[in-house]
Amino acid sequence: MYLKELTELDGVSGDEGRVRDFIKEKIESKVDGVKVDVLGNLIAFKKGTKSNRKFLLAAHMDEVGFMVTNVEDDGTLSFAPVGGVDPRVVVGKHVRIKGEVPGVIGYKAIHLQKRNEILESPKYENLRINIGASSKDEATQKVEIGDYVSFATDFRCENSRATGKAFDDRAGCAVLMEIIERSERFEDDIYFAFLVQEETGLRGSAVLFEQLQPNLALVIEGTTAGDDPGLPEHQWATHLGDGPAITFMHRGYVVNKKIYESILQVAQKYDIKHQPKRRTAGGTDAARLAKTGGGVPAGVISVPARYIHSPLSVIDVDDFKNTVSLVGKILEEGEGFAR
Amino acid sequence: MIDLIKELTESYGPSGREEEVQKVVLKHLEGHIDGHRFDPLGNLLVWKKGKSDKKVLLDAHIDEIGLVVTNIDDKGFLRIEPVGGVSPYTYVGHRVRFPKATGVVYYEGETPEEQKKNLSNLTFDHLFVDIGACDRKEAESIVPIGTFGVYDSYFYENGKYLVSKSMDDRIGCAVLVEVFKNLKDPRHTVIGSFSVQEEIGLVGASVAAYDFSPLLCVAVDVTDSADYPKGLKRHAMALGKGPAIKIKDRASISHRKVVELLEQAAQKAGVPYQKEVLTFGGTNAAVLQRTKEGIPSATLSIPTRYVHSPSETVSLSDVEGAVKLLVSFIDLELEL
Repeated sequence: MYLKELTELDGVSGDEGRVRDFIKEKIESKVDGVKVDVLGNLIAFKKGTKSNRKFLLAAHMDEVGFMVTNVEDDGTLSFAPVGGVDPRVVVGKHVRIKGEVPGVIGYKAIHLQKRNEILESPKYENLRINIGASSKDEATQKVEIGDYVSFATDFRCENSRATGKAFDDRAGCAVLMEIIERSERFEDDIYFAFLVQEETGLRGSAVLFEQLQPNLALVIEGTTAGDDPGLPEHQWATHLGDGPAITFMHRGYVVNKKIYESILQVAQKYDIKHQPKRRTAGGTDAARLAKTGGGVPAGVISVPARYIHSPLSVIDVDDFKNTVSLVGKILEEGEGFAR
Repeated sequence: MIDLIKELTESYGPSGREEEVQKVVLKHLEGHIDGHRFDPLGNLLVWKKGKSDKKVLLDAHIDEIGLVVTNIDDKGFLRIEPVGGVSPYTYVGHRVRFPKATGVVYYEGETPEEQKKNLSNLTFDHLFVDIGACDRKEAESIVPIGTFGVYDSYFYENGKYLVSKSMDDRIGCAVLVEVFKNLKDPRHTVIGSFSVQEEIGLVGASVAAYDFSPLLCVAVDVTDSADYPKGLKRHAMALGKGPAIKIKDRASISHRKVVELLEQAAQKAGVPYQKEVLTFGGTNAAVLQRTKEGIPSATLSIPTRYVHSPSETVSLSDVEGAVKLLVSFIDLELEL
């Protein structure tokens, strides 16, 4: 499992280099070919025994985070979110700038706030990153405008639960890496795409069709759990521990019926724990793949994660293992899958 | 044509589940086309070869708005989310049709005050569906999570108007079918795309033209006709004044030359028409025009009252006018 290494790397949208280099080094010797395209997507190839279809497995390398927008006179940094980050989860957190410079995001102490102010959501305009510099000159020796900022969160695993940042979508990257570790060949040609800039608008996946012309795809994601005590059960999207979540529809795309039903069939056939994703909000690269070139029908399988798009999300390691099993079994089905 | 419209509008085909309607289309096109195929996303593409080497693509989306089951409770009640732009109000007290069941949609509220509050700020989280099941197990066996539903509504003639669910855009599909029936020996090759998943983001049409590289595209879709009491101001569209040649909506600006050609075709065929500027909305023309290196595209609209409700209303004369206009259009030289 590469979950620890992958989630502790910093790779906000547009700055996926560290993640890409790590994955490339680990998989290079286990595939038939690997390349990095113009946008920065890492694409690996494994030849099939029949090679009648091109089957694309996709996961995105990028995570949500921030970018430094200005270095202030007092040495603090103004910043803006990259991807969707609720400002309420930002306050009081450790961050890392360009993967190395530590910083903190604070907020005025409760003593200085009016009673009703405490309940208000902070605004990005009023938040600063503090890197311990006391002047602009001192700060600019370490950082500059445009530098990327990530949450600084260590991976931890207790029993079957793991916590860390960026399970969306390093969990998906880790699933693809586990599949690559397997030595056997499948019937279809398999393309493994580790994509960039998903969080800023499904951008990396937009250029796959012109390069690969895949016949079908599976997008592997880390997705919303929502199984919080504050929400009634019928509003949960997924539930930790119930297995990989299988999507029938999300924003901008109804999953190809044949692919959706075939995923369910494979899960049932091999008795792999699974659950339908029960909310339709949020989108994945499947929506972009459907709309590019001649159209790529895709399915979506996700590892449920609580509190995604925050510094600290939680997954169930068994859900991760079941996702690996399910994707593996799908590939073993060969040309029989979604036919 | 009325029978065709009835059959098409009463068929089940929410976004992503369009097979039943595509079968109806193919049945009616038998003997009127030279070939058909389904592309990887499920778009039904049909064609009739013409005398010139020019290709024209006519598009109508075959999907309709709907609901999808997202949860089932212990007592067998369903929870739902919208598929496409559906107002929760159109479903309160109305029925939803699934492939194997019909259900009643209603809203929750544990006190009269809460009922009133929920009704005045209605969201899909307040709605549930009763399919008459005793428990979760029974409901799951009939409508598993992920089952798609549509308005349980029927077609009828309301005076000179036609009323049904899914006029958006089965009326466009009906127009395309009739156009193909009227093309005996067409001047140009005509491709018909019965496109999937329009209602959730113009999905199917984004790729439908990719393999054909047509000279131009015309999307046939409904437009909002607000010619009723206190309907939207600023909009001119009205039922019975002919098909509407779209100039602009929020998603696209019709290619000027295609607009001129559509007007010429209308004049040549003696079909009254109206011009349309819609201040919201969008059609497949928006993505057809962005395919590959770009394809000149426009929309021909059927003015429709009560769009995205179970009772979408059109005028048969506008529909027949659209068919005549397009047949005449295909007989133009089509110099861009």
